[in-house]
Formats: sequence, C-alpha cells, structure tokens
Amino acid sequence: MMIIMGMTWKEMMRKRVMLLTLIMTVIFLIAFWFIAKTIGGIHLTSRFDPNSTEVLIDRFMRGSFILMLGFFFGAFVVAFLSIFSSFAVISGEAEQGVMQSLLPRPLPRWKWYLGRWLGYVTLGMLYALILFIAILLITNAQATIPKDPASLIKSFLLFASVVPLLITASMWGSGFFSAVGNGVFMTMLYGAGWLGGMIEKVSSTIRLDAALAQPLNNISGIMSLLMPADALQRKMLAELFSFKDLGGLMSSQNSPLGMFDMGQIPSSTFIMYTVIYTLVLFVWGMRRFGKKDF
Amino acid sequence: MSSIAIATDGLTKEFHNGRGCRDVSIQVGKGEAFGFLGPNGAGKSTFVKMLVGLIAPTDGQGFILGEPIGSIEAKRSIGYLPELYRYQEWLTGEEVVRLHAQLCGMDRQVMKQRVPQVLEEVGIGLRGKDRVKHYSKGMQQRLGIACALINDPDIVFLDEPSSALDPIGRQEVRSLLAKLKAEGKTIFLNSHLLEDVEVICDRIALLNDGQILRSGHVSDVLQTKICWQLKVGGFSPFLLSWLRDTSGFQVTLMSQEADGTAWLEVVMEHEEQVGWFNTLIIGQGMTLYEVSRKKERLEKWFMSAVSGLSHRGER
Repeated sequence: MMIIMGMTWKEMMRKRVMLLTLIMTVIFLIAFWFIAKTIGGIHLTSRFDPNSTEVLIDRFMRGSFILMLGFFFGAFVVAFLSIFSSFAVISGEAEQGVMQSLLPRPLPRWKWYLGRWLGYVTLGMLYALILFIAILLITNAQATIPKDPASLIKSFLLFASVVPLLITASMWGSGFFSAVGNGVFMTMLYGAGWLGGMIEKVSSTIRLDAALAQPLNNISGIMSLLMPADALQRKMLAELFSFKDLGGLMSSQNSPLGMFDMGQIPSSTFIMYTVIYTLVLFVWGMRRFGKKDF
Repeated sequence: MSSIAIATDGLTKEFHNGRGCRDVSIQVGKGEAFGFLGPNGAGKSTFVKMLVGLIAPTDGQGFILGEPIGSIEAKRSIGYLPELYRYQEWLTGEEVVRLHAQLCGMDRQVMKQRVPQVLEEVGIGLRGKDRVKHYSKGMQQRLGIACALINDPDIVFLDEPSSALDPIGRQEVRSLLAKLKAEGKTIFLNSHLLEDVEVICDRIALLNDGQILRSGHVSDVLQTKICWQLKVGGFSPFLLSWLRDTSGFQVTLMSQEADGTAWLEVVMEHEEQVGWFNTLIIGQGMTLYEVSRKKERLEKWFMSAVSGLSHRGER
C-alpha cells in the first residue's frame, strides 16, 4: 500500500501537476496580496478613533470580505486539483494498459485502491494547508482575521475535507465511467453542488416570497446533497468567523458580500451526512474496483 | 507434490456481447512450454487474463500450482506480459522494474542485484535510466518482459511477446524463452508467430470461437508423416510410375524443367528408407542433386484446423 502511495506522489511530482499548481497558486497569491491591500487600505473617515469599536468592526468586516474572496478562489483550486488528479485513476490507467501489468502482482486490490486514495488525499490536503495559511497570512497583513486556534483548526479541517470528499467521488466514478466521461461527470457534479450553494445564497439575499423560495430551496438542497463540497466551504467560513459567538454582530444574512456571502450555514447533521456520503462512496468504489475486469 | 503447474476445469468467461471463452479445460505440467493458438478474437487473451487474475471467470475453476487463480498465493509464482499494455511514462525503465519488484515483496538487497541483471538480460541495459516515454515500442516490449521476469517466476505468461520486435529482437526473445525453458520454468505462450511456438513449445492448444478446437504435442502435429523432397536430373515422366511401383511409396512430381531437372516429393514410413530410395534413383541413371526433409509446418496445421470455420475476428 505504501508502495502505491509513494508511486502516486511520484506521479504527481513527475507529471508536474503539483509544480504547475504551485506556480499558479503563487501568481494567485501575488494578485490576492494586491487585492487585499486595496480592500484593506480603505479607511473610515478620521472622525473615528483608530481604537474605536467602529474601526475594529470595519477592519474585521473588510478582513472577512478578503478571506471570503480568497477562499472563494481557494475552494475552486483545491476542488479542481482533487478532481483532475484522480478522475482517470482507474479507467484511464485501464485504457492505457497500465493496470494490466500491475494488477497481476501479489497485492490485494483494496490495498492498491487505498494506496492511491491516500496518495492523492495526503498531497491534496498538504496543498490545502499551504493555501489556507497563505490566505490567512495575507489577509492578516492587510486587515483583521479571527485568531481563535480552535476555530482555525476546525475551519482548516472543513476546508481540506473537500479533498477526500472529491477524491473519493472521483475514484468511485473512475470505476464506472471512462476517463473523459468521469472528468465531465465530476466537473458537472461539483458544478451542481456549487450552483446549489449559489441558489441558496441568492434566494437568501434577495428575500424571496416564501412560496417562491420553497422550490428554490428544495432544488438547492438536492444539489447540495448530490455534492456537498460547497456546503462544506460555507460551514468552513462560518467556523472561521465564529458566527455563533458574534451574537449577530456580523450576520450571515443581509451581508454586503454579494456572491461571496455564505448563505445558509449547513448544520452539524449535514456534516455527518457528508462523512457518511464519503464513506459509502469509498467502500462502494473499492468493492467495484475489487470485482472489475481489466 | 503435484507436477501440474496450470490446471483449468471448464473455465468460462462470457461477456455480454457473446465474446469470451467457454468450458476451457487444460493442464500444463511444471517445466512445460505450452502454446495457445487461435485466430484473432478467439478468446486467448481472455483466458490468460483469467489465469493471472485480471478477469473473474463466470464459471469453472482454475489453479496455479494448486492455488486458486486470482489469489495472492497464485500471483506470487507468476510473471505476466500482457498483450496490450503501457508502463508509466513518467518513470524510468529501471524504476518500472523496481516497482514491480517491490510489489512482489522483493528484498531491497536482492532487488539491487536483480533489477540491472534482468534489464541486461532483455537487452535494455543502461537505457534503463531513460524515462519510458522515450522508449520505442520494441523497447517497451523488452521492458514488459523484464517486468514479467523480475520475480524469477515459476510460471511465465507471455501474450504476444514478439509482436513489436524487429527480427533481431524476435530472435533474442526466442533465445530468452529457450533459456527459461532450460531453467525449468513453465511457459504459457500466446502467440501468432507460429515459428516461435514451433521452436519453443512442447504442447499446443487451438482455441476458436472461445472453445478448444484441437490440442496435442507439437511433435505429433509436426510429425504426422515423413516427407522428403528430392531434386533429380535426367528425369523422364515414365520413371515416375516405375519409382512408385518399385518403392511402394507415395511419389509426387512437384515440378519439372525442360532440361530434365525435376522436384519429387516422397512420403515414406520410416526415415531410413530414404537411402534405399536414393539408390533406386541413381540406379535408373538419374542424378541426385539434393535431398531434404520436408517438415509439416504448424502454420499448415493451424490453417487446416480453422479453415471453413467461422471465427469471431472476422465479424
């Protein structure tokens, strides 16, 4: 299993997937630095004392906006890295003929599957950690960010949990569909989850009539159930800003953040659903791989 | 201890499209070289894939050295060269072989010696340091053979081992197979190159439309009759009936030139009768230029076995 995991790391390095991702991330972070600087540099009028509550809230609000902007991009990058690194892992390798030479070796198929999964997940989570820290550091340099260690750890775990979720789904799909088919399937599935989140945000922002909002809520709910990645990101932001503890000082409703607003915050039950969703797909995918003909 | 290396009993794989193979029962002894022949689409590769654990059978059973096919124990004793495959292009040849050695659980120290040795054996040598993406098809084929042999397996499954090789490479593979056979390895050879099968294999089976059509020892197939070809000078057509009547052999005039030179084909019971037949020719005043033993080629056997039958590759 460790051999397969090591092979996966080597593959990601040799194919320059990680290198390209890191280069593009550095470019993004440079741009993000300037954006954060611009947003963080807008000061309230001098009639406020720099140590006043108003200024503190203003700095926090701007910090929140910068963070949401950063994580809006970050969520996409982590998601696409997870999907595109693993979408061809079974069908693609079978189509190329790599599988035909490796599987007759005395290694149980479940170990191969788990080794591949661990390889992708560890690298993806390491990347998520780097990105998470970089976004926080840049925002902190230009505005104020929450500094509660428990919230930071919780929000990182939620941010990075998209990696195992998407890799599990992607590997599951790779056992059923062709490489290209699975790439399209995963992109659309992730897109559906993201769209569900957007519908939720829009419907909560424009305050629709209850009769109109209900069907929209149903649709967005189904989309989030199909792919809970976007919901995890919303939960992550809620944990990061510790909304529960702010006592309505900064509401998730009616915020001026527009499309970067987080809309409805998913409940803990939904997080449990996501864990079960991931586990079921993982076991299903592994069983499918164990019985698949090559 | 059993002397059977590979045994299948009614092994069947039926795909939804009707392809696959049905009720295949064979036994291959330890140290034996077994040739598996058949037209395209006959189900040869499907059968081999079942033996190495890539495909699960829909019926029947099979054993490798007494272990059920597809089990980890069975996989420990095999080396396999697939028909259609590619290795990880982002690895070097040496890394690919090392990966296979690791998957076989080979000790690090043993691996250090074994990897360069096997690369040398298949003719890759120092090119093992190059990435696989820079390899030609022939080099990839050599790499495939190196991977199949890295764990020093008791049984080697080779699916078209010479398909991408030039004549020199083909000859090298043939020598390598002969060496493996001499070392006592069991060889299961799937090949369209009947010359290779003829030289290497002890027994053969012919698969058509997913079922075994014929099987037997190569020597039996090739020695169905003793046939000699003779080039003679001063030949006259009336001598043909005289030779037939006197010798009692089946004598056929294959061709005749205007200058009296002719090619005769003679089928006889025993090899040593050719000397007496030669004296008959010389005794009649003819000149004997050339005498050669005509072997029944496997290709002819193959063609006669499958001719007139429908086979799926044609569909």
